[in-house]
Amino acid sequence: MLRTTLGKVLNGGPLSPKHVGILSRASSQGPKKPEQIEVFIDDVPVKVDPGTTILQAAALVGVEIPRFCYHERLAVAGNCRMCLVEVEKSPKPVAACAMPVMKGWRIKTDSEMTKRAREGIMEFLLVNHPLDCPICDQGGECDLQDQSMAFGSDKSRFTDIEYSGKRAVEDKDFGPLIKTIMTRCIHCTRCIRFASEVAGVDDLGTTGRGNDMQIGTYVEKMFLSELSGNVIDLCPVGALTSKPYSFTARPWEIRKIDSIDVLDAIGSNIVVSSRTGEVMRIMPRVNEEINEEWIADKSRFSYDGLKRQRLVTPMLRDNTGELKPVDWEAALLTVAKQIKNAGSSIGAVAGGFADAEVLVAVKDLLNRLGSEALCTERTFPTDGSGTDLRSSYLLNNGIALAEEADYVLLVGTNPRLEAPLLNSRLRKGFVHNELDVALIGPKVDLSYKYNHLGDSPSVLQQLVSGQHEVSKKLQSAKKPLIIVGSEVLERSDGSAILAAAQKLSASTHPEAKEWKVLNVLHKVASQVAALDIGYAPGVDKIRESNPKVLLLLGADDGAIEKSDLPSDTFVIYLGHHGDLGASIADAILPGAAYTEKQATYVNTEGRAQQTLVAVTPPGRARDDWKIIRALSEIVGAKLPYDNLTDIRNRLDEVAPHLTRYGEAENANFFKQAQDLAKNVKTQLDNTPLDVKLKELSDYFMTDSISRASPTMAKCVQAVLKQKQSKF
Amino acid sequence: MAQQTVRSAVKQVKPILSLDREEARRRVVSLYKAWYRQLPYIVKQFDIPKSEAQCRQKLREEFGKHKLVNDIRVVDLLVIKGQMELKETVNVWKQKGHLMAYFKDTWEPKPQDFLSKFLAGKE
Amino acid sequence: MLPTLRAAVNSLKGPLGLRSLQTTASRAHDSLFVHRDTPEDNPDIPFEFSADNKKRVEAILAIYPEGHKRAAMIPLLDLAQRQYGWLPISAMHHVADILKLPKMRVYEVATFYTMFMRKPTGKYHLQVCTTTPCWLRGSNEILDTIKKNLGLEVGETSSDKLFTISEVECLGACVNAPMVQINDDYYAALVLDCLQEDLTVQDTEEILADLKAGRKPKPGPRSGRYAAEPIGEPTSLKGEPPAAGFGVRADL
Repeated sequence: MLRTTLGKVLNGGPLSPKHVGILSRASSQGPKKPEQIEVFIDDVPVKVDPGTTILQAAALVGVEIPRFCYHERLAVAGNCRMCLVEVEKSPKPVAACAMPVMKGWRIKTDSEMTKRAREGIMEFLLVNHPLDCPICDQGGECDLQDQSMAFGSDKSRFTDIEYSGKRAVEDKDFGPLIKTIMTRCIHCTRCIRFASEVAGVDDLGTTGRGNDMQIGTYVEKMFLSELSGNVIDLCPVGALTSKPYSFTARPWEIRKIDSIDVLDAIGSNIVVSSRTGEVMRIMPRVNEEINEEWIADKSRFSYDGLKRQRLVTPMLRDNTGELKPVDWEAALLTVAKQIKNAGSSIGAVAGGFADAEVLVAVKDLLNRLGSEALCTERTFPTDGSGTDLRSSYLLNNGIALAEEADYVLLVGTNPRLEAPLLNSRLRKGFVHNELDVALIGPKVDLSYKYNHLGDSPSVLQQLVSGQHEVSKKLQSAKKPLIIVGSEVLERSDGSAILAAAQKLSASTHPEAKEWKVLNVLHKVASQVAALDIGYAPGVDKIRESNPKVLLLLGADDGAIEKSDLPSDTFVIYLGHHGDLGASIADAILPGAAYTEKQATYVNTEGRAQQTLVAVTPPGRARDDWKIIRALSEIVGAKLPYDNLTDIRNRLDEVAPHLTRYGEAENANFFKQAQDLAKNVKTQLDNTPLDVKLKELSDYFMTDSISRASPTMAKCVQAVLKQKQSKF
Repeated sequence: MAQQTVRSAVKQVKPILSLDREEARRRVVSLYKAWYRQLPYIVKQFDIPKSEAQCRQKLREEFGKHKLVNDIRVVDLLVIKGQMELKETVNVWKQKGHLMAYFKDTWEPKPQDFLSKFLAGKE
Repeated sequence: MLPTLRAAVNSLKGPLGLRSLQTTASRAHDSLFVHRDTPEDNPDIPFEFSADNKKRVEAILAIYPEGHKRAAMIPLLDLAQRQYGWLPISAMHHVADILKLPKMRVYEVATFYTMFMRKPTGKYHLQVCTTTPCWLRGSNEILDTIKKNLGLEVGETSSDKLFTISEVECLGACVNAPMVQINDDYYAALVLDCLQEDLTVQDTEEILADLKAGRKPKPGPRSGRYAAEPIGEPTSLKGEPPAAGFGVRADL
């Protein structure tokens, strides 16, 4: 199944000997770029590189050829035949997706032969496709529906007076996320190719032949992967649809809002579909720099967690120790009184979902009150360059460039579960680009082969001193990457690990000057923005200072517990889910989740992006930063921003890149960071490097939203059930 | 375009009732007087919890709302509307609530400052 | 079942004026293209190549260059089927392990080819050709004879695990039609003269009797031919082949 996609070949992507066979047609080894050839699409001349397919050449002049099986990001299959076009002097129509153009070809995409070929294929596809569009979830956004309207015959020859019926195929159990109605399948094999090439889970395939061919797993096995939901988008018909979304809404009654995903630090671009103030589903949006057109399952399916366990009204803990709902006035007055009494003895802990606006508002408020105890829940080494230089805490080289790397060293991270879309880039590099991956950390399944160097920090030491067996490979790599998981940097010897990684990256020799070797992969969406704004990583500060008032900004990871605090500390929780943080709070101020606010998030590569309001916050919940702004007025330290523009201006003052949406702000001062790293005194200890997310069952429920999601709970169940299976 | 502007500037507008400002003013004053004289009866007839003095003040306020109106056609229209209101009141086509509506708005004013907007949950 | 039901319903339809009951004809293949665990076929049943076959596996793998070892999949599956008599799922798993391929890739191949028997099959797999030439020469009678003799229907296996009957499409031995393939051997020209039906029964029953007795009947045509040559004298191309230029226009 692993073939180089034609696009890769055509774009002259670097090819290994194992791929040269495919190239024989284009036969263009050597540095010189091959001459372009001219072809005519409907008599419009276009110059293309040799090896371009008819379909791609047609796209260049704006002619879209209908297709079902062809997909730009998957291998060419050429089995649906919908893209048949007439080529002059060719006796029969040719499949445009698989046929490279030749010089001077005249391709007719609108001729009688082409039209008749399309009509014929359409008729064949519909012979066995059920006419259940009215009850099909794909109805309204179905390629087969659209294309049969555009290219199909205007009448049917399918009379079936004998009730002989259409082909019927039994449905498969693909798990709790994907609903299958296999009778609708047109055998385009996109799902199989996706599973095999992108997701790296070779569980799908075709069984049987001819009329009896089926798509499935043959044995009773679910299709479980962290990227499985994408086959729903890929399926051109309604054979694979979303189980949680099934029978809930129609595409034409849905409002679509472009937004950003915050369930990991990648910042995938999403479209939030809502109807009557309810999020109905989440789909990916194309962004070549970040997520291409995929999103991970947690991002796609945990939206039902946004409707459960929500904090919908302010609450105060009464004398009996119970949280009682109150109105905003009462809540704000009580909280303000506590803050006033505390004076400067106030601290704040930012959790994983805090947006840049609330982060800067809280910082401004606490600074006005005379406190500097601003922390993030996730810790990060502060020795050496610490968080002062951005280069030491960003995924500096960017997500998209990861697929171009030729050697990747992963240190204490499982990118498959921590950042599935970064892992899909690495897999792409592995499949198409001869990428070698080595991992220091627990042995996990990354969906591709890698060199497991063990989980001992001493391996890192050996690598730094150049004595390890892979040292030479790392040194000689032209595009090496070192990706350090933020989790191992939270260890007590985190600064030593970071310093070692910095030293190691200094010892490599990347070919291009702009190639950045050192990369840090974060696990939560808020971390980079928080560090950019000037929060201190880790809650040590809070533990030391014993503040009288502690403000938790959606801190649900249990980094700080009631036992860490003096008994008289007044804990305020500002967030959207009743989770760990809310359970220890004395006052709860309900905030908005990421689908309910226009907010800024900075992803792990330092790219600022904003979410947009898809639905209104439930109940009496409010925008997070507005709560802080209102509180500040009552406390008597009024913050000088009344609306989004004002606070965005403030963000711009603090760090200009926070409002340059869509652009990744690169870090620099690598040299200085490396110099500072030499001052790090901490020694690597001997505890093995570990990651929390080892298996797929660990992946689904990691934060307050996904913990509240019944779908994610079902996924965990399914994975555990799968483990019992013999297949 | 230019021609049109010139034409509209010199064009004589068709009067509704009054031919000049003086006449319009007379009509306003006579409407005011008519209302003024009717007020005691209104208070009695409708049994509204307002004194005559309060009603007189409200009358002045209502007229005062339009003190900046210059266009005599608009003045005339407002006078006609005022007469209609008066007739409805005199004939008791209106009810108590309609009159009380002059004194109290039935809608809440929109919150203006940040905090009240926040507490009201309105943008 | 369904055709009879449909027929019954249709016969009722006329006199009673009932609306017809709509049933869907199953046009599917007689074997299932998904795996169902059965006592005979489940992943817990161990499968291992025998010592001899292990050598064969080595030899087969050696044919294919490094990086293309997956091409050995069909020979290995065939080997497994020959060893086990049919192809259980554990054999597929074993082949996948040998080739270091995802199991799904093996399932795909094993289900694609009809000659991989994925359900228990008898020692003698009787494959009766019923395509047009054989049918014209009386394959129906042969099939009936076999069915009657063994008391089995097409697709069934006898309880002693000796015989399985299949109906297959053209096996390319039309010149000696009708024919039956039993395991790897062709038994052809079972009828000398299509009018003398007795011979069908005789030949077929002789073969079945031999098999039941554990003897191996002689494969090949029963008409006395060696292969596909004419019976008796050749009828054409008897002389020397003409020299070059034969039949060419004189002016060329």
